[in-house]
Amino acid sequence: MNTKYLFLSLLLVLTACTQSPDINNVTMLDGDQIFDPSLYHPERYLVSAAIANPNTVQKNTPVVIAVHGYSATTFEWDEFRTFADAKGDILVSQVLLGGHGRTYAEFKKSTWEDWQEPILTEYNALRAKGYTNINFAGSSTACPLVMDLIKKGKVVGLKHLFFVDPIVVSSDKMLTLIGLVGPMMGYIETTNTPAEEGHWYHFRPQETLNQMMKLIDLSRKELQAGFKLPVGTQLKIYKSIKDPSADPVSAVLIYKGLTNSDGSKIAVEMIDSELHVMTRLSGRDNVTQHDRDNQMHIFDDLYGILKE
Amino acid sequence: MKKIVVLTFLFVSSVLSLHAQASDANGWPGTLKGGFRIQKAQKLYWENGFAFDYASPKILDSRIHFGASYETSRLGSALGSNAIKQDNYLVSAAYHFRHQKALQPFARLNVGYFHADYEDALFDVLPNSAFLTSIDVGLMYEFKIPLTLSLSAGYNLNAGTGVAGPGTLFPVFYQMSILYTIF
Repeated sequence: MNTKYLFLSLLLVLTACTQSPDINNVTMLDGDQIFDPSLYHPERYLVSAAIANPNTVQKNTPVVIAVHGYSATTFEWDEFRTFADAKGDILVSQVLLGGHGRTYAEFKKSTWEDWQEPILTEYNALRAKGYTNINFAGSSTACPLVMDLIKKGKVVGLKHLFFVDPIVVSSDKMLTLIGLVGPMMGYIETTNTPAEEGHWYHFRPQETLNQMMKLIDLSRKELQAGFKLPVGTQLKIYKSIKDPSADPVSAVLIYKGLTNSDGSKIAVEMIDSELHVMTRLSGRDNVTQHDRDNQMHIFDDLYGILKE
Repeated sequence: MKKIVVLTFLFVSSVLSLHAQASDANGWPGTLKGGFRIQKAQKLYWENGFAFDYASPKILDSRIHFGASYETSRLGSALGSNAIKQDNYLVSAAYHFRHQKALQPFARLNVGYFHADYEDALFDVLPNSAFLTSIDVGLMYEFKIPLTLSLSAGYNLNAGTGVAGPGTLFPVFYQMSILYTIF
């Protein structure tokens, strides 16, 4: 009797382990037909690809390296790009994280270091071309990725960092058990709106959730030990006070752990919002005027700081 | 911080001196143990502190153990780091299996209070305290010398969710207690 149940449960576990998600190639980013457009037209997304030889005016124009979060694409910063283009006096470089915007298989085998690499590549490319005013705007997972680059001294020349809803602690605390339950799950399925489908992976392989947990755990420990921004770099955090993905306490951990080069505190604005990544509204259902006000406030504030 | 350490030392040493009372099964109604508790949240902080355990042959023949404990990151991960200073106060009731034996599996229900100090008015808008309700299961071993070792794994039923509850109240924890039999 006992052996029969043991066998059945082992079979169940094995089946779960080997399951592949049912990917719809026509509608899902995870498939082999929809890819992030920056892969086809890097010159439309990356300043380093758009301007082969920047002149002096261009080199002194503020450039913002805008980086999206876990499972997302360059779409996450499209609205800021539209805002910036309308202003006409700042440049935006929309970076696609490694392993993202491609296929489920590529996402599954990617590590958080793979995700991080294109940020450093674009930063180095802009430096090589002589840009003098390079900044960073990141949402969610992009923030611990860039904090790690800073901690390791790989990025020293950024003027301003803007974090929108950074994640150091996950709102979904079950992520802490991913090492244990991940192999049994295989993947989790998200609920994208029809407008979001094609811009976020529909399925999240447990391997990538493991990578996420590794990254934020590392980030938390680095902040616990404490480190400083390089001289000349300033940081501002915009954090929604209710966030179903990035726990708002993430802002507290960054505020305590990462200071300016002179030891003074970084800037934090806690915002009355229930959205994760308040700067991205396109594709959401039930966007309120309050959400739009928050988005515009962050864009205006960010722009104002860049132009100081 | 110094005040806490001194007060704790005075409290513990005065409790330990109660050992002067004879633990007579006919006289004194039960066994009180006190000692240290080391706790780790899965993927978060060490929160260490003190624990007490009480059982009486008059209360279900010592099958039920009542407990009280205090664990804090101030005596753990927050020592000399930027970890959030947070405190847990718990009272508990546990059912011990094999209660007459040295090795006793137990299942325990804990209730209490959690409080995190974010240290800056900027974060007053975030929830930083909660009632605690958790269960843990484990093993208790009573040595022949008056020391008891308790090991368990537990689950907080109301961990933070990002939209409600303190963000550093995590669900899964592991604890080890080393208790001295006071009487």
